[in-house]
Amino acid sequence: MHIVDGALSVPVLATGAVLGLIGVAIGLKKMDYDHLPQVGVLSAAFFIASYIHLPLGFSSVHLILNGLIGLALGWAAFPALLVALLLQAVFFGFGGFLVLGVNVVNIALPGLLVYYLCRHGIATSSPKGAAIWGAIGGAGSILLTTIMVAGSLALSGEAFILAAKATLVAHIPVMVVEGFVTAAAVLLIRKVKPEFLNISEDWEDA
Amino acid sequence: MRKTLLLVLTLMACPAFAHNIVGGVYAIGSLIEGEVGFSDGIMAQAGVPVIITDGKGNKLGEVQVEEEGLFSFEATRQIDHHFSIDLGSGHVLNTLLPADELPDSLGGSTPTETAATVSSANTSAVSLNDVDSVALQQMIERAVSKQVKPLRKELQAYKEKASLQDILGGIGYIFGLCGIGIWLRQRKSESQS
Repeated sequence: MHIVDGALSVPVLATGAVLGLIGVAIGLKKMDYDHLPQVGVLSAAFFIASYIHLPLGFSSVHLILNGLIGLALGWAAFPALLVALLLQAVFFGFGGFLVLGVNVVNIALPGLLVYYLCRHGIATSSPKGAAIWGAIGGAGSILLTTIMVAGSLALSGEAFILAAKATLVAHIPVMVVEGFVTAAAVLLIRKVKPEFLNISEDWEDA
Repeated sequence: MRKTLLLVLTLMACPAFAHNIVGGVYAIGSLIEGEVGFSDGIMAQAGVPVIITDGKGNKLGEVQVEEEGLFSFEATRQIDHHFSIDLGSGHVLNTLLPADELPDSLGGSTPTETAATVSSANTSAVSLNDVDSVALQQMIERAVSKQVKPLRKELQAYKEKASLQDILGGIGYIFGLCGIGIWLRQRKSESQS
């Protein structure tokens, strides 16, 4: 998921930086400051999640959690992920500084789309439906991120189909795991702390 | 057929997870050896092209990665060698072998200068036969590099491994930033009221 420095061409880097900046600006503007601790916690979760590699079959995967972050934060996912990605670049050497903008957009934008697409779904009164929408959000955001990563590489000269195939196949296990994790998280949060997803008033009365 | 294709694709694509790409190049005499792989220990597959250029972007040659992510390139000049390896999916390694790690016996600018210059300079100091001293030098270089190789690998692996301090430090930064945000917010709302 983290594209490293030197893999992308300058126009792609510049576009990513500009889009990332816009996203972060809107995110900061729209962010409800009462939810700042929540933004921090999810940012920290993302920061750690990429570091913990779970062995799966003959390879290893790590969670990305951008679906869950998107569902919980909406636009505020941009600043949260910017901070987490910056710190990952500093501490772990994941990604790089020049590609920071591209990486932020690639990971936060799918989260945002999921927020608009699935937010209503996870607020439905039936837990089963909410879990399914959560799973769709979790897996869907990975799918979108994969496509965007492949797109960024393609715009820099790599063959899109090949790049897309390679990253997509590699991330199928991640999608499955992420779908389950997000569904479980949605269910848990609905029970324990519905205000975390800003959905309390939508379904409690129903 | 389709299944095998998918399997092959999966196998090929698996190192493409968000691992860091690691590698390095070392000079053994005039032979430059290098290795490339991912930080989780999977080495690059054989056949990946390695492009070698000088500092100005002129191509010096191209070799292919062999088994275990190893590759080698015979240097003909004592200049900086830039190595560029593209493992696909955004994994690119650029690494440099500085000129001073290559033996002086290779000429600086022209490829035709050979060991002859160095051996003639050595005759006065070394009582050994010219050819022997050159051969001995190469033998020593090779022996030392063989001994140092596992250490280099270990050091590289160590460098790649983030420690608990890094993780805790990162979390600390995030919480600190949140703290600053909340504090600024607090100040703002206090001054308003």
